Order: sequence, then C-alpha cells, then structure tokens
Amino acid sequence: MTVEIFLVTLVGAMAIGVPVAFSLIVCGLALMLYMGIFDSQIVALKLIEGADNFQLLALPFFLLAGELMNAGGLSKRIIAFAISLVGHLHGGLGYVAICAAVIMAALSGSAAADTAALAGILIPMMRAANYNIPRSAGLIASGGIIAPVIPPSGGFIVFGVAANVSITQLFLGGIFPGLLMAFSLIFAWAFVARRDKVQTFPRQTWVQRARAFRDGIFALFMPAIILGCIKFGWATPTEAAVFAAVYALFVGMFVYRELKPRELYGVFLMAAKTSAAVMFLVAAALISAWLITQANIPAELGSLLEGFEDSPRLMMFVMMLLVIAVGTALDFTPTVLILTPILMPIVRKVGINEVYFGVLFIMNNAIGLITPPVGIVLNVVSSVARVPMSAVMRGVVPFFLAQSAVLFFLVLLPEWVIAPLNFLRDRITFGEMLARMFGF
Amino acid sequence: MLRNLIFRTMEMLMVACLAAMVTMVFTNAALRKLSDYGLTLFGGGITVSEELSRILFVWLTFVGAVVVAGQWGHLGVETLVGKLRGRARIAAMFTSDILVLVCCAVLFIGTWRQAPIHADNIAPVTGMPMIWVYGAGFITSIGIGLIVVGRVFRVLTGRITDQELRQFAGEVDDPNGLPKGHVE
Amino acid sequence: EFRELTIRLSSGVGEGHPVVAGVEAMNVCLADRSGGAMKVQAFLGGALGGDLQATQSLRTGTLEMVVTATSPLVGIAPVLGVFDLPFLIGTESEADRLLDGKFGKMISDRLPQHDLVNLAYWENGFRNVANSKHQVASVDDLKGLKIRVMQNNIYLDTFTTLGTNAVPMAGGEVFSALETHAIDGHENTIPGLDASKMYEVQKYLSLTAHAYSPFLVLYSKPLFDKLNAEEQAAVKDCAQVGAKAQREASRKSAVASLAHIKEEGMEVVTMTPEEIARMREVVAPVYENHKSMIGADVIDAATAELAKMRQ
Ligand code: NA
Ligand code: NA
Repeated sequence: MTVEIFLVTLVGAMAIGVPVAFSLIVCGLALMLYMGIFDSQIVALKLIEGADNFQLLALPFFLLAGELMNAGGLSKRIIAFAISLVGHLHGGLGYVAICAAVIMAALSGSAAADTAALAGILIPMMRAANYNIPRSAGLIASGGIIAPVIPPSGGFIVFGVAANVSITQLFLGGIFPGLLMAFSLIFAWAFVARRDKVQTFPRQTWVQRARAFRDGIFALFMPAIILGCIKFGWATPTEAAVFAAVYALFVGMFVYRELKPRELYGVFLMAAKTSAAVMFLVAAALISAWLITQANIPAELGSLLEGFEDSPRLMMFVMMLLVIAVGTALDFTPTVLILTPILMPIVRKVGINEVYFGVLFIMNNAIGLITPPVGIVLNVVSSVARVPMSAVMRGVVPFFLAQSAVLFFLVLLPEWVIAPLNFLRDRITFGEMLARMFGF
Repeated sequence: MLRNLIFRTMEMLMVACLAAMVTMVFTNAALRKLSDYGLTLFGGGITVSEELSRILFVWLTFVGAVVVAGQWGHLGVETLVGKLRGRARIAAMFTSDILVLVCCAVLFIGTWRQAPIHADNIAPVTGMPMIWVYGAGFITSIGIGLIVVGRVFRVLTGRITDQELRQFAGEVDDPNGLPKGHVE
Repeated sequence: EFRELTIRLSSGVGEGHPVVAGVEAMNVCLADRSGGAMKVQAFLGGALGGDLQATQSLRTGTLEMVVTATSPLVGIAPVLGVFDLPFLIGTESEADRLLDGKFGKMISDRLPQHDLVNLAYWENGFRNVANSKHQVASVDDLKGLKIRVMQNNIYLDTFTTLGTNAVPMAGGEVFSALETHAIDGHENTIPGLDASKMYEVQKYLSLTAHAYSPFLVLYSKPLFDKLNAEEQAAVKDCAQVGAKAQREASRKSAVASLAHIKEEGMEVVTMTPEEIARMREVVAPVYENHKSMIGADVIDAATAELAKMRQ
C-alpha cells in the first residue's frame, strides 16, 4: 500500500504542475500521514541535511568551470581541432561532432550545454555542406549525452552522494563506457551516412593540425588536469572541481582573453542559480528517501522482483528497463534522485557491484535525455539547430539504438566496465584487463 | 521596485557565497598540495574552510531556491498541464500552488519547532551554532511562500495574466534563459 | 502494561557489525519482558542519515533510538569530548569499569538536558592508526603523514600535536582518497577497518589504541517520557542486556578482524609501552586545551577513577 501512496502522490503532484522538488515534499507528507508519523520537523531537518554535504560542493564548482569555459571561447577551439583531424573524411563533420563531443564531455558535465555549443557551431556548417540536417541534429544530441558518463559529471556526484558510493570510482568507471558510447556513434554514423552526398573539407597537413592543437591546448589540457587530479590522488573530486574552475577562469581571462571581468558576475550568478535549483531538488529528495526507507518500499518492490534475485544479470536487465521507462517521462536528476533510494538496497542485496550499477544507471539516464516525450537534449538541439522536434526525434533513432545496444551489451558483460575501472585503479595490469574483458 | 531590490540583493549574496566557497576550497587544497612539497604555509591548510564552505553552500542553495522560484524556474513536468486549456489550466495551477504553500507552511513550522535543538548544536570546527545553517529553512519557506501567495491572490482576484499561465504550462522559454535546474 | 511498539533504531554501522549482536540480544530480552509487544527495528548503514543527524531526530522526537559513537555529538554535549581525549582509557576492563560505574552515570545524567536518554554504553572499540607509507612504531614516524581524522576538534588537535598533517574529511570519500594516495592514512577501530576493507589500501597498522570509543545507546527523551514506567524499565534493562552481548561480540570481532587483516597482508605493529608513554606526554597539552570546553570536573573525575583502578 505504501508503494501506491508513494507513486500516486508523487506522480499526481508532478502531473498537475507542482515543481519536482515540491512534489517530493508532498509525497513525503503523504507517506508520513499514512504511516502515522506526521511531523513538520522531519521536513525541516531532512531538507537542510540534504544540502549540508561537502562532496556536493563539486557540483557548483564543475558547473562554474563549464560556464567559464563557455564564456571563455574554448568550444570553438575544440571543434577547430577536431576538424583538423577528421574533417576530410566522408561525412567528416559527423566524426568532428563525435570527436568534439568526447573532448567536451571530459571538460564539462552538462549534456545540454555541450549539445547547444556543438549544434550552434556545427549545424550551420553541416547545412552549408549539404548534410541531412535532422540526422545530423540527432547525432549531435546523442553525442551531447556522453557528457554525464565521462567525468566530470553532475550525475555521478548526485548519485554518489545519494547512494553513498565513491564519486572518484564512479568518475574512473565512466571513462571507458563513455568512449564505447562514442564508438557506437561512429559505427552508426558511418552506416547511415554512407550514401550521403556531402562536401568534405580538404585534408589538413600535420603542421596545420599542430597549429589547431596549439590553439586549443589550454582547453585540451583541462581533461588531463581533472583526470590527473582524481587518478593520481592530487585532489579529491571536490578539490579537482575547484581546480578546474580556477583553471578555466585563468585561461578565459588571461590566455584567450575572451572572458571580461564584467562578465564574471553573470557567469557566477548563472552557475549559482543552476546549482541552487539542483541542490534544492537533491535536498527535497532526502525527505522522501528517508520515508521510503522507513516505509520499507525497497523491500516491498524487492519481493516483486524476487524471481530475479538469483541472477544479478537478469535483475540488472529488469532495473535498466525500468530506468528507461521512467527516463522517457522524467528528467535526469529527478530520475536519479527518486530511483536511487529504491534501487540501491536491491543492488546491495543481490550483490551487484555498486560502481558498475552507478555507471550503467547514469548512462541509462543520459540516454533518457534523448527519449521523448521529456528529453531536454532533444529540445536544446531542436531550438539551437532550428529543426522541428519531430524531425529531430526521427533523426536520433539510429544513434539511440546504437547507445542502447552499448548499454545492454554492458548489462551482459559487466567486466567491460569493472575491468577497465580496476585497471585505472591500478588493481590489475593492462594484460589482465584484456584477459577479463575477452574471457581468456 | 522593492521586489527587485530584494531579489538583486539575494543574487549578490549567492554570488558572494559561491566566490567565497571557491576561494576557500581552492586555498585550502593549494596549501595542502604545497605542504606536500615541503612548503608549509598556515599549517598546511585552513581547518575552517571545509566546514565554512559547507555552511555557505547551504545558504547558496536555500537563498537560491527563492530566487529560482521568483522566476518560476524550478524543474517541473509540464506534459499534462501543457495540454490543459482555460479553466482547467487555472485550476491545476491553483491546486499546485496550494500544495506548494502547504509545503512551505510545514517547512516553516518545522524549522520553528526545532530551532532550539540547532541553537545548542555547535559546529565542531567553527564553533558556530547550527541554527545559522538550519535557519535557512525560514528564508526558503517565507520567500517561496510569499511568491506563491502572490500568484494565488492574482488567481482569486482574476488578475492572472495569460503570460503567467503559459509560463506555468512550460510554453514560454524563460526570459532570463534560466536552465531550469539541469546539471546534465 | 505493555503497548505495541516498534522502536526504530538508526546507526551508521553496517550489517555484520557487532552492534547487530547487541540489537538481537536486546530484542530477545524485549520480547520476553513485554510478551512480544515491543521490538527494535534497526536501520543500519546510515540509511536514516548520519549519526549526528539521527541524534537530532531523537531530540525532536521524530525517531526513537540511535547507536552512535560520542565524537559526532560533542557539538550537542561538549562533555562527551572527554572520550576523544587521547590515551585516556588503557584497557577494555578499564573501559567497562569506568562506563558502568560512577563516571558513566555522571555522563549519562548530563544528557537528558539535551533531550537524550542514554540507555547503556556499548562498544565501538580502540582506535588505531593505519597508513600506506611506512610502519609507524614511534611518534617520530608519524611526522608529516597526511592522516584523515573525523571532523572533531580534539582529534584534529591530537593529530596536529603528534606532528601529522591532520585532514578533516567526510567518511564517504576516505577509501578512494586512501587508494589514490590523496591522503596517507586514517585512524579507525579494527572491526571498522576490516569491514570497510581498508586493508586493500593500507599496508601498515600501528596498534596505538590512542582512543577508546564507546557507543552510546540513545533514546529520544520526548518519546521516552511517553513510555510508562514498566516500558521504560524494560527498554533500559534490555539495552544493558544488549551491552553484554554487544561488547562480547565486539571483542571477539576485534580479534577475528585483526587476524583477517593480517591474512590480507597488512603489517601490524604493537607500540611498546615506552612509546605509548612518550606519545601520551606529547599530547598532554590537548587535555589542557579542551579542559574548559569539556569541563575540568569531568576530566578530573575520569582521571581520578582511572588512577584508582591502576593502583
Ligand atoms: Na563529463
Ligand atoms: Na526522456
């Protein structure tokens, strides 16, 4: 019965337009009333407690770093560098989009911002070169959603705190699967665009490439800083985030000189507002999570899934289907916050590796960003590229299929996430990693 | 006018919080790094920085929640209300606002009732009474409460604008380009 | 007369921790006393929040029980800082006699003013220093090590005084910070170290026993006052019954865990009494620094009782 109360109040409140954060509080109030433990102090205590967490500071810092880089002119240099490498291939701007998406994913955690930047620069070029625009828009959207999977990632931070899983390990665990998503896009693009009659760029010389690299070196250096900090223990994720922000500020202001001091206030305010909106959601989710735990909802759900308990793989499969279904209709952060307290007890009980689950969970939620009806990245690409929503939805299909294939491939072969993670944690050698992945 | 002044002030407070957080966490981390290389300044780190930046973050969040609410920028699901027209849409907005008001009232009462236990809980490093942290519940509940009461009042007196209704249904892009709570 | 009551208990420790044995014993006792009317339902692993936050829920009367170490609570009851003082309690038998005796009662009597009722003292255990750099056999070996400590002023002071670079850090990221060598070491109980698999990222363990950490078994005072006399007595007595089982389990687990972490490859060194005496001397100022906060009478009461035992 508590499950029904939970679902009806949460979905009901959201459906009539109550903001998600308040819907979570409404749902908490209903659960308290039903369980006979109504007390206003629970709301006040849990709400503030939800935001009082040092690890979550990484979120505003990475957001700030992203905002500073957008204002500092790093995106166009990344794209210029990608063009110098792969622009001359058939369908080259598609590969440029994928390549730039991966680099930008390693700089920021925002799929929406990356997509907007990519679409803003590339779609006009693709139009001029006679590309199929809905399909190109679909490619850019699905390239953009790599951002939350490759570190840094706000999704991993929120999940890591809500599930009490190490953010450092989630960051390291996301790298390889994020690259797999990019590879799947390369194959899908090569296949669907093989007969397109499009112009290609002239092949650039190595001198030209070196120049493009030099222009973008400060942007390209940032992933190295973030990953180096985390991989080699130079800093915790929160400190790595603050280093990234200060670095982006420095590069934007003093190296590229595109960031003017008077713009700083606006950039800080934007990052502050976004992080306040997200953190308020995170805080509100702690109220309902507290009551979900007390009401034993995970156990109730767990008993529904009892048949799958013997097979972690099957359980994983079922959970991923659930996340896809929820992700069609709900935004990224709410999905993470609502499902984490429900699924984590099951994950732990069945004995699924927590980091592995986290990586696939976030990848799945990222894919939710391009599934209608609620897919913010589709909206972004549609408005920036000026392509009707319906056309983008059609264009994204092959890439959605490719990335979903990666997701379910990883459900079948957990070692493809865990072995690279253990390699990056210096637990196993490169040879051992390959042996585990290919089963010899 | 007054409303604008209040919001501008709150925005400045948010920016100040974020800037202070960046400065403190960066300085602390940098000092710790330097002490690794034998250069120990300020004892190789500022111990209050962790706690103080956490407290500022709480303020950033809960003052920010009011600012975001002032622009109707909290993340919502507009799929259904976007399909409603006329009175049905007004009814949904009214009900939704009442529910938010109930939440604000509960938050205010809860913060009020538990103020004593936070007043005598001292933050371990700064020695600051935790009511300075948990008191943020007052700002949020009163701030968002007032904003929503305004809209309820306009509905009841029939002064609600078409623009507001469309904003509620997610049909207008936010004039300030607010990303509506997306980190992804 | 006993009424039907499910007592919700929160604790940050995970499944398999000796606290579980205490809760089980307490439940058997309660079932017996109340004819099955009362029972404790444990939420472990911080499922209901951190120990400090859960304790705040007790004070507001929104949760019944919490089993917590004293260190997170010094902001509420500064008197509890006495248990953070380095090298106060030397042996398990000293701990039992001190906590079950006059001094233990003195501390418990100070808690109702904070809306908390202490039912019993359970055991977290002696805390020891582990690190990944080199073996620590003397106070000099500690110099310059980056050691994670809890966000607690006395611990910070102690480890700074010992010459380490004391880093306050939230619990969640400690393992990864140790793994990536962002920090060199941490301090922990032996069962705690074993349960969190710290042996995977820590090579050296020194049995410094620099602090004995008791668990408080706290009940919400607003809710305790709503129980009738019979129920109150049952809860108190059964928490004591739980204490016996819990301490026994804790000590067994400390021995088993020590054996296990050695098997896992940790190098364990026992500090000589001379070295302990030296460390005790080095940290003597810590007692002075925090005397006014904890209360001189409290520190004196503890040291006097312990001195009597040691004669
Ligand atoms: Na990213
Ligand atoms: Na979706």
